Amino acid sequence: MRFLKLTATLSMTCLLATSAFGSGFLIPEQGAKASAMAGAFVATADDPSAIFYNPAGIAQQREMSVLAGTTLINFTNEFTGDPNSPVTSGVTGEYNRHTFNIPNMYAIVPFGENITFGVGAFAAFGLRTDWEDPWVGRYISKDADLKTMSVNPVVAWQTSDGRFAVGGGLEYRRARVILNANRMLPFPDPFTGRIPDVANARLASDYGSGIGWNAGILFKLSEAFRIGASYRTGMDIDLEGRADFRQIFTGNPQLDALVATTIPPDQDINTEFPFPSIATIGVAFSPNENWDIELDLMRTGWSRFEALAVNFETTPSASFVREQNWEDSNAYRLGINKNVTPHWDVRFGALYDQNPQPIEAVSPLLPDSDRIGASIGAGWHAGPLVIDTSLLVLHFKDRDTNGQNPEGFDGLYETDALLWSVNLGYRF
Amino acid sequence: MKRFLNIATAVVVAVLIAAPGYAARGEADFTTFVALGDSYGAGFESGSLNERHQVWSWPAVVARQAGLSLCLPGATAAATCFAQPLVSFPGISNELVLNSLVPSPVIAPAPGQGQPLMLNFARPYNNLSIPGATVGALLSLTGAEPQTPNEPTAVSFARFILRGQGTPVQQASALHPTFIALWIGGNDYLNVIFSGNPATMTSATDFAARYEALITALVTANPNAGMVVGNLPSSIPPYLTLVPPYIVNPATGQPVLDPAGNRIYYVGTNPDGSFGQLAPTTLIPLQTRARLAQGYGIPPALAGFPPFNQLPFAGTPLSADDVITADEIAQVVARVGQYNAAINQIAAARDIPVADIAGLFQRVSHGMQLGPVAISAAPVTGGFFNLDFFHLTDLGYLLFGNEFIKAINTAYGTQIPVASIAQLFMNNGAFFGDSGPGVGNHLTFTGSNSGITDDAVSGIVSFWSRQPIPRRLGGRNRVVNH
Repeated sequence: MRFLKLTATLSMTCLLATSAFGSGFLIPEQGAKASAMAGAFVATADDPSAIFYNPAGIAQQREMSVLAGTTLINFTNEFTGDPNSPVTSGVTGEYNRHTFNIPNMYAIVPFGENITFGVGAFAAFGLRTDWEDPWVGRYISKDADLKTMSVNPVVAWQTSDGRFAVGGGLEYRRARVILNANRMLPFPDPFTGRIPDVANARLASDYGSGIGWNAGILFKLSEAFRIGASYRTGMDIDLEGRADFRQIFTGNPQLDALVATTIPPDQDINTEFPFPSIATIGVAFSPNENWDIELDLMRTGWSRFEALAVNFETTPSASFVREQNWEDSNAYRLGINKNVTPHWDVRFGALYDQNPQPIEAVSPLLPDSDRIGASIGAGWHAGPLVIDTSLLVLHFKDRDTNGQNPEGFDGLYETDALLWSVNLGYRF
Repeated sequence: MKRFLNIATAVVVAVLIAAPGYAARGEADFTTFVALGDSYGAGFESGSLNERHQVWSWPAVVARQAGLSLCLPGATAAATCFAQPLVSFPGISNELVLNSLVPSPVIAPAPGQGQPLMLNFARPYNNLSIPGATVGALLSLTGAEPQTPNEPTAVSFARFILRGQGTPVQQASALHPTFIALWIGGNDYLNVIFSGNPATMTSATDFAARYEALITALVTANPNAGMVVGNLPSSIPPYLTLVPPYIVNPATGQPVLDPAGNRIYYVGTNPDGSFGQLAPTTLIPLQTRARLAQGYGIPPALAGFPPFNQLPFAGTPLSADDVITADEIAQVVARVGQYNAAINQIAAARDIPVADIAGLFQRVSHGMQLGPVAISAAPVTGGFFNLDFFHLTDLGYLLFGNEFIKAINTAYGTQIPVASIAQLFMNNGAFFGDSGPGVGNHLTFTGSNSGITDDAVSGIVSFWSRQPIPRRLGGRNRVVNH
């Protein structure tokens, strides 16, 4: 009867993977100027990327402008198995190298004296954990891939003296998830004593979509002080897709025949994928016209991941609800902008980003960790042209599961990331 | 009661002495690692000693994790590798292999003839574990014993493991070991499985005296060597649970029921000479299936009816030695408790850590999940016991070795990584090699057992009631003990 368990585990494991996306896949680098300031931008918000960071900020921008660019992300990581674990001792692994391209595009159009319209397109959430073969943790996850794309029209209004602004808009977000994992025979092969792979499960959703909103305020207390705050709603996006199962043959016809009877049929699946809210408050200080210093607190509502329900349409018995228990997390961001010449700015930043993932949830699907980061960047502007670029180095604190992984896949995850952003702007 | 208190005191003392911070003797220096033991230490698996599984013997697991390489058959005496008396497949005796899983498992010896591959290795083997060895045998066997009919298993194996060059203790000491691992004692009580008679167990007094003598000999000859020993399990192997104490319809695998819907228990001889139906808690060793197939144990009231009347001994009670009663099991458990108390006391007196093998077997008996696989004491698919149903699989020996590694790490403050079951994953490529760590081409699974005779079941009892497993050694049939 243990063969029968294979069906359920085969089906469940990959879909459980979806749950582990619930952490650490926010990409707040949606503009090179903001990124150069480590994302501390809610109280500055003085370029069109304010549509993402604080829509109230576009009210202070009184010229029609466009801004487009990208952030290229590279990860280096290493997993080292726990030397005390009978599952992972001696195991190592790392991701296949990818350069992720996260584009952004913004346009703003002032209207009258106090109002500005804007629209932005960006991908604020995404993830890829693509483990390089051969990977022992393949029975948990070989590859997990989340992609999103948002379109965010906003409008902002400011008082005539420009000291107070408020803005908001709607966000239309599309998302899809692909998960890929192998299944091992759930007991040692009695013919060989070995533990063979018996199936591959690929769960791929189509793009689903949801609508949320964002809003913000910007308050200039004086020439020297500004306060900004913004909020972007959480979303639950319904995803529908397809589960494809492929048998991996052990070479023993009898065992393979038994396994074949346990592999679920390819079928439609659906789930509801939760995305967190983002609330940011920041204060900026400009001691003189050449310096801007901003400190932000960003709180991300990862506690939305209380549970995940996944439904199999052909074999409903494989459907499940899984508790998640993520926690809201804070990020602290410090950014500095210095006007060096009339055309050049230099920027610096530093951040500390708490991870929201309970230790029990750290797995090959998404091994998140607290992050510390440092950024540097520059901006050049002359006439209508603006060019910004930044380099952000993120170091993920070593995360050791310390024997607490429920699947026994314990070990140390070490991750670093390098993010290079560039944006080109034009003011009409 | 007094004895119990003494034992309890000894255990408490041992535990206290073994608490973290206690200084283990010598150092965990694996420059020259020697292991002594029995069939478990030899890597005996599925009724056979052969290289496919010798590389997974618990000493080999410990050696590999401690950074040693395993000797290939062509290794010279000067090599610092961990040497074992490798035997070619299908081994000595021929390894039992699974020919078919459904509808019922069919298990038979692999064909061919295994041969020792390192008979001329010009120094003692690092692994001096001898299948069938008792505690006493490690002090007395030399491999030079004259060949006799029906000689003990350990004598036969000692002939090509010890090669007449001295006792295991002497040969181990000749290597000037820096670290010694010892697991012995199973054969001092496991004979009950085959004899059905608890009287065959070594007395607790004799066990303690022999264990004391063994440890003393090792410590005296190797005063600076680090050392680890292991305690003994008393959980019940599948060898004793495969044949139920009641009649089973071989066609359905279901119990035969009387008109009242009750199971019909076999009839056996009581201690007082009378006979009656076996208690539900009675265990029937696998070898008894042969007598069941002849009709022994069929209640006399059924002996005259078909199909039982076709069996020559239907109506004849099973003998007391054919079964193991709950009382006898209790005696074994109590005796093992006494053995373990002695092991703890003797080891503690010399600052030797004790690996918790009993705990491992206990956890397995409850079932445990290791990564993607479930491990249990279940036969065939449980993953822990092999196809002779009381020795271990490669994975079982791997976990066995891990208990020793854990004990060493705790006592010596070392950080030897435990062995991972991922070593047994297929298709791991660069991590461990597809077949796990081994001795080159000598560890290659053919994948096919074509040509193996199917000894399919016949008779009134279920498939487990086939003829006793023949274990050939030196051309003669004999039963291999633990």
